Amino acid sequence: MLDIEALEFSYDADGDALMRFDLDVADGEVLSLIGPSGSGKSTLLNLIAGFHRASGGQIRLDGQAIESLPPAQRPVSIVFQQHNLFPHLDVYTNVALGIDPALKLTPAQTDSVKQALDSLGLGGLQRRKPGGLSGGQRQRVALARVLVRRRKILLLDEAFAALGPAQRSEMIELVKTLVRDNAMCALLVSHQPQDALLASERTAFVFEGRIAALETTADLLERSPLAAVREYLGSA
Amino acid sequence: MNSRALPAILVLAALALIVVAPLVSLIRLGSLPGYAPGDLEFWRSAYIRRVLGFSLWQALLSTLCSVLPAILVARAFALQPGFPARALILRLFALPLVVPAVVAVMGVVSVYGSDGWLPLGRSLYGLGGILLAHVFFNLPLAVRLLLPHWQAIPERHWQLAAQLGMNGWQRFRQLEWPALREGLPGVLLLVFMLCLTSFAVVLTLGGGPRSTTLEVAIYQSLRFDFEPVRAVVLALLQLTLCMLVAGLALRLQRMPEVEIAVDTAPSNFAAKRQPLQLILILGASLFVAMPLISILIDSLNGPWAGVFVNTALWRAVGNSLLIGVSAALVAVTAGWFLLHYSASLAVQGRSTRARLIEMAGSIVYVVPPLVVGTGLFVLLSPHVDVFDWVFALVITVNALMGLPFVMRALGPAMRQNHAAYDHLCQSLALTGWNRFRYLEWPLLRRPLGLASALVAALAMGDLGVIALFGTPDKATLTLLIYQQLGAYLIAEATVTALFLLILCLGLFWALETLIGGRRHA
Repeated sequence: MLDIEALEFSYDADGDALMRFDLDVADGEVLSLIGPSGSGKSTLLNLIAGFHRASGGQIRLDGQAIESLPPAQRPVSIVFQQHNLFPHLDVYTNVALGIDPALKLTPAQTDSVKQALDSLGLGGLQRRKPGGLSGGQRQRVALARVLVRRRKILLLDEAFAALGPAQRSEMIELVKTLVRDNAMCALLVSHQPQDALLASERTAFVFEGRIAALETTADLLERSPLAAVREYLGSA
Repeated sequence: MNSRALPAILVLAALALIVVAPLVSLIRLGSLPGYAPGDLEFWRSAYIRRVLGFSLWQALLSTLCSVLPAILVARAFALQPGFPARALILRLFALPLVVPAVVAVMGVVSVYGSDGWLPLGRSLYGLGGILLAHVFFNLPLAVRLLLPHWQAIPERHWQLAAQLGMNGWQRFRQLEWPALREGLPGVLLLVFMLCLTSFAVVLTLGGGPRSTTLEVAIYQSLRFDFEPVRAVVLALLQLTLCMLVAGLALRLQRMPEVEIAVDTAPSNFAAKRQPLQLILILGASLFVAMPLISILIDSLNGPWAGVFVNTALWRAVGNSLLIGVSAALVAVTAGWFLLHYSASLAVQGRSTRARLIEMAGSIVYVVPPLVVGTGLFVLLSPHVDVFDWVFALVITVNALMGLPFVMRALGPAMRQNHAAYDHLCQSLALTGWNRFRYLEWPLLRRPLGLASALVAALAMGDLGVIALFGTPDKATLTLLIYQQLGAYLIAEATVTALFLLILCLGLFWALETLIGGRRHA
């Protein structure tokens, strides 16, 4: 279980505009984060991934504090909207880098890369460069790397925003299966309320650097009493 | 301190040592009695006033003669996107960036001198020749800097102008001038600065009592008049002028980047063929090409055998290659570390600090190389025989001169690379050698190749610092040409010049290809 408690951060050196997050994500759960631009959704993911240093609070995974670990040592995989793959490396190498940055893979690790690619329908594309793949295929490659890394926390930072509705639904189903089968804790940042409905039982509404609401997705999207949520959804 | 900060800090410390320490020794020596900057007698001397006046006058005239025609030529290029060989001509306009000044000067004399193809008066030696050579270098540079401003005008604006029935003048006023106005002050300042600090052109075409600039006067004070203190005061004066221009540029925030690879893609604007524009393009192309062609033709009948059996030539070739390649290696390594750290700071949102580090790499814009050279001379001469250290000094100062080009060529790609992949690399623990091997080398080798090639060619063609420190047995090809010209061995100098040109272009091509490799798909 991922547990975030009083996690604090500010972009200003003097500590103004302090953000503070409290959140928990169960094993096998995909929790969606929605909210206006600049509300702090991506900042929260960057704090969990270790790209930003929190000024206070804790991030615990199964009771173990991880907030002091450097990014590479955190049990985290992250998928961005773009630039997940190195354009000059082929699909296989992009995935294999997730296991060993020096690319010295054992036969078993090589097999695991191939299996991950096969399981995501990318078996025949191992030697392709990212430029020769569709947007959906590129994100599948990024997910294949998530699979081989075997890290418990999965962060999806608008990972499917560039895809069409049908491909987005397909990718979300894929993520749900991946997270459930591997008992991962996933956080999905999206600007599309539809994504949250598809992906998550629970959704958090992030507003002005706080988790302003954390409810079942249906309740949050259809019956939230918060004016900020209604304004965000255009139902004010 | 992280692993990226330490090398960058070491580079910054080295820069401070190379630039600031000589400056401090200059200032200390410059305040000796009789030469203090406040000493009125010194400033009243006709010599100083003449040198200062001529430096500013030739820089101003050169700037106007280069940039004003460049506006017309750049406009012609912009409005004639379908002009045959357009890309080829724009590449030709990049050549003066790597053509050694002394070679260009010989070409200009060969075309426009009294015995040339198109003689312009009795003698080119003096202001006229200096202006012509400066225009040869700076007109194509200004065209390449101004052209992107036209290309930045959105296609929709051209269409709108056509729909509104604007004539040529109205289009210029409403569309082109607003775009040009943004970049013009910066281009003017840059060209002025380049002409103010021009050394080889003035040394070879001027240098007499009536046409000496501060840079040449510093050289003459050190090497011929043995007046180091006067050289110091002149160097401080030159430094002050450069700082004023750089300060003005910073205030305007409009100093353009010295574009190495301009986008030669034509705009989508399709204009009618206008004879005047075609004449402008052809005229400018001939102006740039003729001096180079004349060197080629003149040297065909030159004493090749005599030049090639001269051991001094091969010694100079070795020295030039050593200086070119070493300066490139030093500049690229220093630039890499600075940019790596600055790009990582930018990703962390510390953009002011990132910008300051990048600006430190361009310090040579403010402190001219000859001033650094003079400072090093003053600083080191009480302790060592500077002429024994000629290669180390010349490589150091040439690397310093090349550093801004490394920052320009590599900076945008490095920043883009960090912005796109820094988080992913952190997440995958892709650091150090692995990061270089799998990410940075494949994606950055092209700009790295370009930067190395450019610095090597510039260092090989430099006649500034080597003239200050060089001795006959430690001459480079540029110094050898200068010595041959001084001994009126014009035919030999022409052959050596062509040889130098071929070597410079060859080294440029070799480094760009070897390091840069083939373009990625």
